[in-house]
Amino acid sequence: MEVENNSANHGNGEVGPEGAIQHYLAGLSDHRTLSFFHYKIIDLPVIVYDDGLHIYKDINSMEQAGLFTECEHKIVHKDNPAQGVAFDASITSLVCFEWIAMIIGVVLFSLAGRKYKKGTVKAPSGLQNLLESVVSFVRNQIVIPNIPGRAGHKLQHYFYALFFFILIMNLVGLLPGGHAATGSIATTLALAITSFLVINITAMKESGVGTWFKHLLGGAPWWLFFIMIPIEFISLFTKPFALTIRLFANMTAGHVVLLSLTGLIIYLQSYLMAPVSVGFSIFMLALELLVAFLQAYIFTILTAVFTGIAIGDHAEHAEHAN
Amino acid sequence: MDLVFLAAGLGAGLAVLGAGLGIGKLASAALEAAARQPELASKLQTMMIIASALIEGVALFACVICFMLTTK
Repeated sequence: MEVENNSANHGNGEVGPEGAIQHYLAGLSDHRTLSFFHYKIIDLPVIVYDDGLHIYKDINSMEQAGLFTECEHKIVHKDNPAQGVAFDASITSLVCFEWIAMIIGVVLFSLAGRKYKKGTVKAPSGLQNLLESVVSFVRNQIVIPNIPGRAGHKLQHYFYALFFFILIMNLVGLLPGGHAATGSIATTLALAITSFLVINITAMKESGVGTWFKHLLGGAPWWLFFIMIPIEFISLFTKPFALTIRLFANMTAGHVVLLSLTGLIIYLQSYLMAPVSVGFSIFMLALELLVAFLQAYIFTILTAVFTGIAIGDHAEHAEHAN
Repeated sequence: MDLVFLAAGLGAGLAVLGAGLGIGKLASAALEAAARQPELASKLQTMMIIASALIEGVALFACVICFMLTTK
């Protein structure tokens, strides 16, 4: 948790309890530098699109260039601070943590995959065993039971990637100095957009565009169409929206509870509170570990279930016919 | 301004109340079903998690609204 560890250089009594807690809350959000505890590792580039692409090495060189300035974590025009930029695509600390999660995933799987490339028929062991058990769990418990027919076999790689990416991002958030990239709504929204595309494109491919449109009618009699079509159309978008909010809120809620428990010490300004806070924090961190796995599982299984529903009866009939 | 905080706190509490009732009812039904037919337990567990995730999702919408009230 990055938040807990920023106290070293700020808890020196200059700010009151409320100020310190405000500071911790800011630690939950995105940063423009990548830091390990309070040691700054690198400044991150600022990329701004606003009547042309502007790229700066870091936030200070952006300030010096004189076009834009930072105000309450938002980049605004220097001459008109009320107006924000059109599009802020900066590489922030959460983007870095996302990349770190990607690198960890790629390294883990290429290490495990090397053994398969050698073609030995020995029983798997070590890392290979660990990953293989999780991969087969995803296939046998999540993908195959929920997505009927050949679509399940074709889509399984997407679900492995989804599950492990979310899981590793969540677990990076539990490392000391780490930050869960899934605690940002932008990350979870991007993941939900991929699942939205997978759900609908698979449905169109498997049961045809006509059936997909027929699905929008919901199988109701024609005089209900003026109610059914808007409801089904909205439900297309509420599914990925719920996925977005669920993952984001679960990851953020864990951080906020930990922050509140730590904040009790500062707020009550008493050493007696420390054992209580630490005890509850350990319990919450154990719970966060469970939540990290559970949320990766829930995001993946819900995407699989929605895909199965979107494909609908058509594919099932085809399977029975075979 | 203070009323906004009151509203947000009450709203979050009410949302949690509803979600707690829903998930509790769901879990009790799933446990009863699993006790009747233990061989279906793993299938029931998956369905229970899916349904509880949907209930939780609705509760989280409410909590996000409450959170937005306090930070607007």
